[in-house]
Amino acid sequence: MAEFEEADNAEAIITRIEHKSRKIESLLKQYKPVEALKTALEGSPPNTKDERCKSANWIVVHRAIMAIKDVDSLFSSLDPEYYDVLMKYLYRGLSTGDRPTCDQCLRIHEKLTEKAGLGCILRSLADKVNTV
Amino acid sequence: MAAVSVHQFAQCITCHAWSPDHSMIAFCPNNNEVHIYKLLEGKWEKIHVLQKHDQIVSGVDWGTESNRIVTVSHDRNSYVWSQEATEWVPTLVILRLNRAALCVQWSPTENKFAVGSGAKTVCVCYYEQENNWWVSKVIRKRHDSSVTSVAWHPDNILLATTSTDGKCRVFSTFIKGVDVKNSARASSESKFGEQIMQLDLSYSWAFGMKWSPSGNMLAYVGHNSMIYFVDDVGPSPSAQSVAFRDLPLRDVLFISERMVIGVGFDCNPMVFTADRRGLWSFLRFLDERITSSSAKSGSQISGKFGKFYGQSKYGSNDTVETSRTHGRAHENCITNIVPLKKPGDTAVTQFSTSGLDGKVVIWELQSQDDLSEYL
Repeated sequence: MAEFEEADNAEAIITRIEHKSRKIESLLKQYKPVEALKTALEGSPPNTKDERCKSANWIVVHRAIMAIKDVDSLFSSLDPEYYDVLMKYLYRGLSTGDRPTCDQCLRIHEKLTEKAGLGCILRSLADKVNTV
Repeated sequence: MAAVSVHQFAQCITCHAWSPDHSMIAFCPNNNEVHIYKLLEGKWEKIHVLQKHDQIVSGVDWGTESNRIVTVSHDRNSYVWSQEATEWVPTLVILRLNRAALCVQWSPTENKFAVGSGAKTVCVCYYEQENNWWVSKVIRKRHDSSVTSVAWHPDNILLATTSTDGKCRVFSTFIKGVDVKNSARASSESKFGEQIMQLDLSYSWAFGMKWSPSGNMLAYVGHNSMIYFVDDVGPSPSAQSVAFRDLPLRDVLFISERMVIGVGFDCNPMVFTADRRGLWSFLRFLDERITSSSAKSGSQISGKFGKFYGQSKYGSNDTVETSRTHGRAHENCITNIVPLKKPGDTAVTQFSTSGLDGKVVIWELQSQDDLSEYL
């Protein structure tokens, strides 16, 4: 029974992520990359152990992260409540080993660490429950 | 300066405690011994070495009333030391642990002491007059991981623990024949080992924890750069989680109901205060006034990440690492904070800290004008 529930839950999460993905595409078309990133980080990480959901959400967040051109203006409009979860996705990005992704994640990582301090890094590394 | 005295006692100090009149200090220099130093004519002189443990001494506490020292060690044993004439005489306390003992604290009336261990248990020890023997009662099957810290409520019954499963728990340690029932206290209704509360706020290791002077509140820290303040300890507690921008803490101390000092990996005590509505926040570092402007902390960080960012402006930044602690009282992680409260004092205004740099630093808060309203 629990497995079925988990599967149903996973389907619901995937649907939500697809919806989020469409919203992000439209925000990117309107040249609102910061709004797109906020939307991507909203409800992240998905509250599930399902790796499929986590990957789907990562694809969406990755899309929004790569669309950020001006890192300084990102932090002038990104609220502190997003810092910890953004840091987690930056580390997921760095773990891919993909050159453009790593470059972009490091660029944001530098500014985010200035802004949110080492405590933010510690929180993202120490949390083994809400993994992204 | 907030730091009024700095003394290098050893390479590294695992724990320290003060004699009742603060004229002597007992500490473990990261080995199987406890050294006792006394301040004689302005100089610290080694007067005793307590040698009985086989492995690193992980905890020491010195009873203010009884003048007895309790030590625990990775060798899984505990000793209670009493002073007879000029010698310290040890009494072995069998804890029956199969893992290291990690921390120890005398209860407020000093008729019991609690030991946290790596065996996921807490031992509460008390003296049995008829047998002339310290007995250990164990709280089992409550913790999912090592117990890193124990703290006694002022009522001598409630005991709070933190552990590496990230949880903070409060137990009753009522022992028949040792504690007297007091109908005015709800806590004396519960049996030994009964769990009063469990808090599940941290997703990573939880370390040091203390009760506020009134016992109404407690604070503990997580290895995720968070500090947790718990109010209304009982069946329906309310808690505040405060995230801060610097490295995690290892131990905390309540100065008053409105001020907490946290110490840890930043090598510099942090001051947390509660505003009029009871909301807690980080106020400042205690050792010199470092403003937490992003520009300054940015320069501290870039040393480590400079090579990753691959930008030339960070190229020659080898000195940054030392500048983090340069000119400060502590040069490495602070692991312990102990109040310096003389009998009769109403408030704690002095405390001492020790850590991996082997220094003991005494701090004075009365000289800090901006903190006086929180004392």
